[in-house]
Amino acid sequence: MKILVPLKRVADPDNANKVKIPASGEKIDTTGLEPKPNPFDEYALEAALRLTENGQTPKVRAGEVIVVTFGPKECDTTLRAALATGADRAIRVDTTDDKLDGDLVARALKAIVDREKPDVVVMGKQAVDGDSNQVAQLLAEYLDWPQATFAATVHEEDGALLVGREVDGGVITLRVKLPAVVSVDLRIVAPTSVYSTKTARTFKYNDGVRFAALPAIMAAKKKPLVELKLADLTADVAPKIVYNAFQAPPARKAGIKVKDVADLVLHLKDEAKVL
Amino acid sequence: MPPVIEQSFMKALFHGVISEDMIFPFPEMPAEDRENVSMILDSVRKFCAASVDSAKIDREHEIPAEVLEGLKGLGLFGLQIPTDFDGIGLSSTAYARVMQEVASVDTSIAVTLGAHQSIGLKAILLFGTPEQKRKYLPKLATGEHVAAFALTEPAAGSDAAAIKTRAELSPDGTHYVINGSKIWITNGGFADVFTVFARTSSVEEGQKPKITAFIVEREWGVKSGPSEHKLGIRGTSTTELFFDDVKVPVENVIGEVGKGFKVAMEVLNNGRLGLASGSLGLARTLMKLAIERVQERRAFGRSIGEFGLIKDKIARMLAQMFALESMTYLTTGMIDQKVADYSVESAICKVMGSEVVWEVVNETLQIAAGIGYMSDYPYERMLRDARINLIFEGTNEILRAFIALTGLQGPGKALVEVSKALREPIKGFGLLSDFAVRRAKTVLGRERMSRAHPLLSHEVVIFEDMTGELANYVDSTLRKHGRRIAEMQFAQRRVAEMAMDLYALAACISRTTRAIERRGEEGAKREIDLTRVFGGLAHRRMATIVSEFARNDDELRKSVASRAYTDGAYPFDIL
Ligand SMILES: Cc1cc2nc3c(=O)[nH]c(=O)nc-3n(C[C@H](O)[C@H](O)[C@H](O)COP(=O)(O)OP(=O)(O)OC[C@H]3O[C@@H](n4cnc5c(N)ncnc54)[C@H](O)[C@@H]3O)c2cc1C
Repeated sequence: MKILVPLKRVADPDNANKVKIPASGEKIDTTGLEPKPNPFDEYALEAALRLTENGQTPKVRAGEVIVVTFGPKECDTTLRAALATGADRAIRVDTTDDKLDGDLVARALKAIVDREKPDVVVMGKQAVDGDSNQVAQLLAEYLDWPQATFAATVHEEDGALLVGREVDGGVITLRVKLPAVVSVDLRIVAPTSVYSTKTARTFKYNDGVRFAALPAIMAAKKKPLVELKLADLTADVAPKIVYNAFQAPPARKAGIKVKDVADLVLHLKDEAKVL
Repeated sequence: MPPVIEQSFMKALFHGVISEDMIFPFPEMPAEDRENVSMILDSVRKFCAASVDSAKIDREHEIPAEVLEGLKGLGLFGLQIPTDFDGIGLSSTAYARVMQEVASVDTSIAVTLGAHQSIGLKAILLFGTPEQKRKYLPKLATGEHVAAFALTEPAAGSDAAAIKTRAELSPDGTHYVINGSKIWITNGGFADVFTVFARTSSVEEGQKPKITAFIVEREWGVKSGPSEHKLGIRGTSTTELFFDDVKVPVENVIGEVGKGFKVAMEVLNNGRLGLASGSLGLARTLMKLAIERVQERRAFGRSIGEFGLIKDKIARMLAQMFALESMTYLTTGMIDQKVADYSVESAICKVMGSEVVWEVVNETLQIAAGIGYMSDYPYERMLRDARINLIFEGTNEILRAFIALTGLQGPGKALVEVSKALREPIKGFGLLSDFAVRRAKTVLGRERMSRAHPLLSHEVVIFEDMTGELANYVDSTLRKHGRRIAEMQFAQRRVAEMAMDLYALAACISRTTRAIERRGEEGAKREIDLTRVFGGLAHRRMATIVSEFARNDDELRKSVASRAYTDGAYPFDIL
């Protein structure tokens, strides 16, 4: 199976409270925050790797994983980390985040899919910086492929994927014919979430994403990483979404202490007007 | 360009010469290495977060087998072994940085990995023949085999030349037969390959023994005693080793027969840097705990971090850590630039590292106070773990003597040559004039450090002045006492401690200069401030030592100690 995994580099999500907005409101300032791969994309890579191996040691790879990112030269680090973790090839589309929106990324990805012809695109459900949650859906639409979003489990079948998705009160399972677009949620990295047809259903993965062994890190330098121009992928490079201004959410007002339940009810009725 | 008098920055400094080209610009990891090392650290962090429970390792006196397997699987057993032999091929700087990370998580694991590759297999790496490397390194790189370094014996700790373990050549000259025992060998319980030091000359009173290094496989009959119970690093395996007619083929001699002592010293010179960076790693973890604690814990209506005495502790710790980090990575950078002589520098890093982490763990425990003392918290374990660093790989006393005496050797030789030259003034003219110029420079004016950033001029003056003081003291002491200096340990301590502070300060200045050049004054504020705090601390320590050059109570202290040996105990009681 050949899988394309789009990856995004984001400002350290664990320190999102350090994000600043300058008085001009023209942008969100993330200086000083360490760049990290988007966690959902790391889960997508893990799922893709599991789908292209047999689960045994030493692992036998059965397929190819291509990672692609949109960003400046510094993003090569993110790609090389993915190569060290097990991806086979990498593509970086040279651009910067402020020149993109979800639609443009989806159109550019479509062009890459047209060239690479993967069996499936596995991607994070959303990037934790913009939290837009659009690209997978848009891409499936542009490709006219079936889509399964927020996957918690993926089991490969012949020519199809059985995708489990958590919903209120249970799990729905969809069968998507390949080729398809799948976006993943965090449960996808649980020990029994993903199986390729080559992996015994009794096999249990380590919980979470795998990390690169040192020899693989050194060897990753020899794996191919190509750079493309955005304009080579799509003639129309203008984003559709234009941001006019950024504004921090208003600071929360301090709470008050109520005397007793009767007082609470009074406040809820008169002030909050929820009763 | 002045003539190069020593291949080492510190050795030159003992002559009063500041070889600034050796420390400017502050070395930097190549971009590619930096990227690799960040990825390696990322893997190490993720692995440790998922699999390492230091409290459990301490409690159960063992690193679980799965954890060791995991570390091997990651490739952490072959960090500096070249890729040709299936290792990772890291530079000295990258190696030290990875060991720093490991030690920041768990000292037992760091010491186990260090005993394996900082010292255990280092002799093969540095002195092994191509055949020895081919035979042993690949399995050591993957951790299929684990190595240990076996030098210490019951009657030979600091005085390593006193070892009694013998290696006798078989009559047919094909192998050696080793008999004897070793003590306190890290990884002794499970190592497969040992670097063993044994004497290859007969024991004769007053005769310097010939020592030879061997690669010995466990399979050839090496037996281990039970694991020792210890204060700290309880997850490491520390055992005795017994050699009872163990046959070792002659091909397994490392380096030359009779040159084993040099092998041991080179291995330790190199290994000490892993210990220095490991100390830094532990100190960083403690600093994080300290900073969290002082902001969280409240007393007298404030967080304790608001109090001056607490702030003073934090600032001192930060400054000493900055100095330690700067000198350690200055030294590894020199090694990576193929500077061959770094024995004084690495000994300084080991002493400084172990003493800084000891101060940091002690002060952090003090800040944590009650919870610091409780076994439910990590502080007391870290205190116990940190203590070993002052003892092994050369005790800090031995290393102080080593720093002083090694540093004094150069000026000592120069003086001997000068006195010879003075007797034969014509022949020795060149030498004499070089020496005269150098002396004139250090006596009349200071030797200068010109490449430092002007914002650090105050620290540079401290460095230059104190370098002059050190060189003058070295010169006058050598003239007055000559070889007797070897017995003068009070003087050696002063010389060594000045050398340590001078090296630390030089490293801070070089590193901060680079930071200012890159990021400007505002951007390098943290580095500048810490260099200033460290400069102040070092200046006061060195000024005290300089005052002791002129006036001290060394003789009084010696006689007090000697009398106590006769008294046999503390001589007073108020009854
Ligand atoms: C946990 C642990 C692990 C170890 N692992 C290893 C290992 O893997 N391989 C190995 O070979 N060894 C190992 N050792 C041994 C270690 O290197 C020695 O303990 C160390 O060299 C000191 O020797 P000693 O303990 O015999 O002390 P001694 O030599 O007896 O020294 C006792 C004291 O006297 C001081 N002293 C000694 N000589 C002088 C002098 N000339 N001038 C001033 N002061 C002096 C010392 O500094 C010390 O304070 C280990 C030790 C420990 C505790």
